[in-house]
Order: sequence, then C-alpha cells, then structure tokens
Amino acid sequence: MCVGLAARVVGVKNGMAMVDASGAQREVSAELLEELEPGDYVMVHAGIAIAKITDDDESETDALMESL
Amino acid sequence: MEKNKTAKEIIETYNGPKLRIMEVCGTHTHEIFRLGIRKILPENIELISGPGCPVCVTPVSFIDEAVWLALEKGVTVCTFGDLVRVPGTKMSLGEARAKGAKVQIVYTPLDAVVYAREHAGEEAVFLAVGFETTTPSACLAVKKAMEEELSNFSLLVANKTMPKAYAALKGSADAFLYPGHVNAIMGNCVCEELAQKEGVSGVVTGFTAKELLAALAVVIGRYKEGKSFFVNCYPRVVKEEGNQKARALMEEVMEACDSEWRGLGWIAGSGQKLREEFAPFDARIKYKVPEVEGKINPACRCGEVLQGKCKPTDCKIFGKGCTPQHPVGACMVSNEGACAAYYQYGEN
Repeated sequence: MCVGLAARVVGVKNGMAMVDASGAQREVSAELLEELEPGDYVMVHAGIAIAKITDDDESETDALMESL
Repeated sequence: MEKNKTAKEIIETYNGPKLRIMEVCGTHTHEIFRLGIRKILPENIELISGPGCPVCVTPVSFIDEAVWLALEKGVTVCTFGDLVRVPGTKMSLGEARAKGAKVQIVYTPLDAVVYAREHAGEEAVFLAVGFETTTPSACLAVKKAMEEELSNFSLLVANKTMPKAYAALKGSADAFLYPGHVNAIMGNCVCEELAQKEGVSGVVTGFTAKELLAALAVVIGRYKEGKSFFVNCYPRVVKEEGNQKARALMEEVMEACDSEWRGLGWIAGSGQKLREEFAPFDARIKYKVPEVEGKINPACRCGEVLQGKCKPTDCKIFGKGCTPQHPVGACMVSNEGACAAYYQYGEN
C-alpha cells in the first residue's frame, strides 16, 4: 500500500490529474501540488500526487558522487 | 581519496569499523534485495530492515477493531488490500469476510468516499493506516465526505508519524536510510534536527539502483568523518520545505496522539487522530468501538524484526508455519515487509 508510483501527467482538470505510468493510465488527485501541467512527472501515493519529480536519477547521483 | 571511485567501489572496499545501516522504508528493503545490493556489501556493513512498512507496524488490536466493526456493526470495511490478511487476535479481515463481513478493497481513501456515495444504504469505514505519505489522502477523503455531507462514511484511524520512531530507534543503527516520500511531504527539517540535536545520522534517498548505491556511498563517506550527519540524496523529489499544502491539510484534519507500534510498543505523540471538528467521521466515536487488547501469536518475532534485534530467518516459524501464503506475522503479509523480502529473495 505504501508504494510511490512515478507517473507522467497527461491532463489536469478540476483538481484531478490523468497520469500515465508505463502505459497504465489513472486519475489521481492533483489538489496538493501547485501549477501541475501536462508533461510534468509526479510521485503518486494512495491516489494523490504528492511531489513533482524535477530531474532524473542519473544527473542527481552524478552530482552526489561529485560532492564526495 | 574516494574521488575516482564509483559508488559500488566505495561500498565494496569499505574497511572501516562495523557500520549498521537501517533502511526504514519497506520499499527500500525490497528494492535493495531485488537489485542484489546486499550481495556486494562487505562483512562490516550490516543492513537492518526497520519499521517503515505501515501494515507491519499496525498493532493486532487495530485488526480486532476492524473485525468487530464488520461483524458486530455490519459496516462495510474499505481497506488497502494488504491489511486483509493480517492476523487479528481471533481472525483476519479475510477470515471475517468468510463469516459474512463486507470487506471492500480500495486503492485510495478517495475511492472509499465514492463507495459510500454510491452505496447510501451501507455504512462505509475506511481503515486509515500509514505514515506521512498516506495520511494526506485520508485527510482529503474526510474533507470530501464533509463537503458532500456523507453521513455513511468514517475512518478508523491508526496513522503514524516517523520522527518519534527515529528517536526511539536511535541506538539500533549507526545511520538511517530515511524514506524518500515521507521527506517529500515533511521536508528535511526533522532529519536535520535529529542530526544536529540528537546525534542521529542518516540520508534520504530514492529507490533506483543508482540512488540506493549513491546513498550508501554517501553514508560511508560521511560516517568516516565521525560526526552526525544528514544528506538529501533524493533532491529530484525531496525539497527542503516538503509539500506545504499536504502538511497544512494534515494539520487541519489530524492532531498528534500516542500510538501503539507493533514491536516498538507505545510511542508518545507518534500517532494521528481526527480533530474534534471531524468527530462525526471518527469510527471509534461513531460506533463506540470498545477498547481491545490484541494478542499476537507468541511464536511470531515480527516485533524484534522491526527493531532490527533479529533477522526474519532467526524466527522459528519463518518459512515453515509462516509463509506469504499463510502469514502469522504482519511482516510476512505485506509486500513491503522484511519477512516477505527474506522469503522472496533469500537472506542475501
């Protein structure tokens, strides 16, 4: 139950977002994020988009390793 | 010194003092197993699976309350699927269903609101469990039910918050892998304070192979420096301030209370309950749920597993009397549980 799902926003309407996760589409609540737009990537938990994903893991970890 | 090494090399070549790292999140536990990361750890790094699976830390008494509501009050219990097979003192919700209880599996509490709206003749009770990641969805469900003036929807609440648990587990590990999505909601302030004031070290990380390896390399690098630390290794999702709208929503709907954790016992201020203005949606008040003292199967060692005091394989019933098909303890039920991970992937 407590599993985050990364998904791409396909559309936003009336506080709900249609998201696509590897081809599977589902409507989730977009009420807890500001200025969500189609094309954004979000983390979904229990039917709610809880955070925007702003980068990929490759450049994120490259920056981390540089800091060591 | 570590400049030209990959994260994997830093991990494999660590030759310092024994380093115990607790992965708090159940999804971290499973991804670490699934990706084979345990296989590359040197002997002096120990990974301990902590209490970050909501199903695993939900006490037996909560299941007993849900079974009572279903069988004695005839409510329709709406729940995340993995709670259905968690054993209660006398039976699980799945066994209650075989006795006529109505149990509806939902993906989100918002679906339970829809169920209540579409089944006006039934009383729907959603089983609200989980940490800061799932609590906002329960709060949103209550607000929607209130807006729609639904009188047949309520919550049985056992939501928990992580910071007090980290402090309670302080001596169990040298560093924590904090659950990425709890910090995505709550921000990093709590973890920074733990490092500065309590001497509790840790990093928050994501769930891919790159992220997990980099996070472990960071733990090793910072641990060698000998001071308590916190590092955000998941900045693409975890922002310093977290999700302020979600935090405001939780603050509006819920308030802190003492809470029982399977294995850890009662931790003051570590639970959540509905605020007084939302009392009509509190199933314990609405149905006058009696206080119950759940009794766990004495052979089950989930409590010690959750504290890192023993491995799942140290439990006598692991893989024998207790399997994913016939779980005795909650850690074997949930896909995020440590026992289920050890059963699925083996000790390493």
